[in-house]
Amino acid sequence: MISSVTIGLLGLLTLSIPVGIVLFLLGFGIDAFFSPFPLIKGLGNLVWSTSNNATLIAIPFFVLLGEILVRSGIATRTYAALDRWVSWLPGGLVHANVATSTMFSAISGSSVATAATVATVAMPQAEKLGYDPKLFSGAIAAGGTLGIMIPPSINLIVYGFLTQSSIPQLFLAGLIPGLLLAFGFMVVTILICMARPELGGVRRVFPIAEMIRALVQLIPIIILFSAIIGTIYKGWATPTEAAAVGVAGAVLIAAAFGGVSIQMISESVVGTIKITSMIMLVVIGASFLNFTLASAGLGAELKAILDGLGLSPLMTILVIVCIYIVLGFFIETLSLMVVTIPIIVPLVAELGYNVIWFGILMIVLIEMALISPPVGLNLYVVQGARKSGKMSEVMLGTIPFVIAMLIMVAALIAFPQIALFLPESLQ
Amino acid sequence: MLIGVLLLVCVVFILAEIVIRQLGASLGGTDEISGYVMAIVTSWGMGFALLELSHVRIDFLRGRVNALGRSLFDLFSMFVLSSTITLIAVRSWPVVERSLVNSSRANTPLETPLALVQLPWFAGWLWFAIVAWFTLYAAIRLVLRGEFEQSEAAIGTFGEENAEIHT
Repeated sequence: MISSVTIGLLGLLTLSIPVGIVLFLLGFGIDAFFSPFPLIKGLGNLVWSTSNNATLIAIPFFVLLGEILVRSGIATRTYAALDRWVSWLPGGLVHANVATSTMFSAISGSSVATAATVATVAMPQAEKLGYDPKLFSGAIAAGGTLGIMIPPSINLIVYGFLTQSSIPQLFLAGLIPGLLLAFGFMVVTILICMARPELGGVRRVFPIAEMIRALVQLIPIIILFSAIIGTIYKGWATPTEAAAVGVAGAVLIAAAFGGVSIQMISESVVGTIKITSMIMLVVIGASFLNFTLASAGLGAELKAILDGLGLSPLMTILVIVCIYIVLGFFIETLSLMVVTIPIIVPLVAELGYNVIWFGILMIVLIEMALISPPVGLNLYVVQGARKSGKMSEVMLGTIPFVIAMLIMVAALIAFPQIALFLPESLQ
Repeated sequence: MLIGVLLLVCVVFILAEIVIRQLGASLGGTDEISGYVMAIVTSWGMGFALLELSHVRIDFLRGRVNALGRSLFDLFSMFVLSSTITLIAVRSWPVVERSLVNSSRANTPLETPLALVQLPWFAGWLWFAIVAWFTLYAAIRLVLRGEFEQSEAAIGTFGEENAEIHT
């Protein structure tokens, strides 16, 4: 059954049938060939119960939050402020790219939104100050991927929903790996610029007074992050309710900068509905596939395969990592996550691994997929904002950051506590 | 647009609930209502996302053929989508029908009559199916007339440079 599903999955995806529909078709196939009783009778109920869901409404809220902030002009202010603080490092403004991405990730649940926002703000500076376009744009594409790791994260909500694990715990688990990755990106930049100083542009030192004044610009973002994450951990609000708080906060911030208008809000809402529906078609398809796989006895078959393979749990995880790296070249990220969860996560759980930990490992792998050609969305987003130069420059520029991500993957496998420390200690 | 307003009202409602809960009371039922809003927003948003070419497709192979080949990929995938969505809509009707026949109410303090929220939800899927078949019909006519560019604008994929997919 697993081999038929995998072949069917890849075959149908290559035919360029929409991903959500492919998942439904596979579900129908399993029902017809592998299930002892007709599962399709449950289709209507399943679609209803998946979409009638108070947890998933956090997705449109977080998307809306991002849409409003992107239009509010806050990114420009944040970028300028962080520039004052990090531009003395070798690599100068490249660090501002990573730092702004990190900050923005902490309020946005999306990597593409993060990359798009930072790219729009940062690109004009690169040419003015003579930075190497490869390193500069690579840092934005890679920094943007932090959006799905540092909470809040739309991808972690989807993962939590499909694997029935705790979303607050997933958010906590993503925090340290996310910050470590950001730190790793900065270390990579410093190393490159120490070896080849001509790539790094001008290092600039600002007077202390100016640095402190710049901090004021960061306050709205810090307050918003604390409001979203704080209300969850104080137990005042569920992730869904925290997302609603975030939307209100984003409107207030945009209003404070004078950017709120009926037109701006309605554009944000229309964009949100479009993206939410796209995500939900895939999520509903995946939960139907989940349901048919479970009913047709996936668990027993997985156990048989594992026993048959005779691989150690560690070897199996390494094989899984390789599968994700290869698939990441060809499949768009959310789809990659959603189509693999029904098969891979039960297997990982069967091996005795922690599902929260695996969620974080999967996110790092998905982040790599975001910047691996030919189907790396962040590459296209950054290139789109550059308006000149070759696409291949962005691709080459991300390579050092991909190495940092690979180290992170190895570190997570060797020391699961990197992800599990926070959720376990706060339990 | 109405759906967007629904979403915004839901935000305000949840905020009110959080504040009131801190004061020791509760509006009750925010979770339940958010769920209904989510179901209706997504079912009605699907058709819109289809017209905006937002549903993700992998164009690994599709991107490697000429205009005629691409439009054949598009027509085929549009046909499969339309059939699948029709099947979903048909299978969703019994859910609504049962609620109507039994006058079912939600097993919650609000005792929402389920048909009241399931009817608009079902109508969203039905609308998605209708939109899909009409788009397919229009695209077939364009392809038969050899207007590949226009058919691609109707049922092709977004250039990835313009991708707005938030993941």
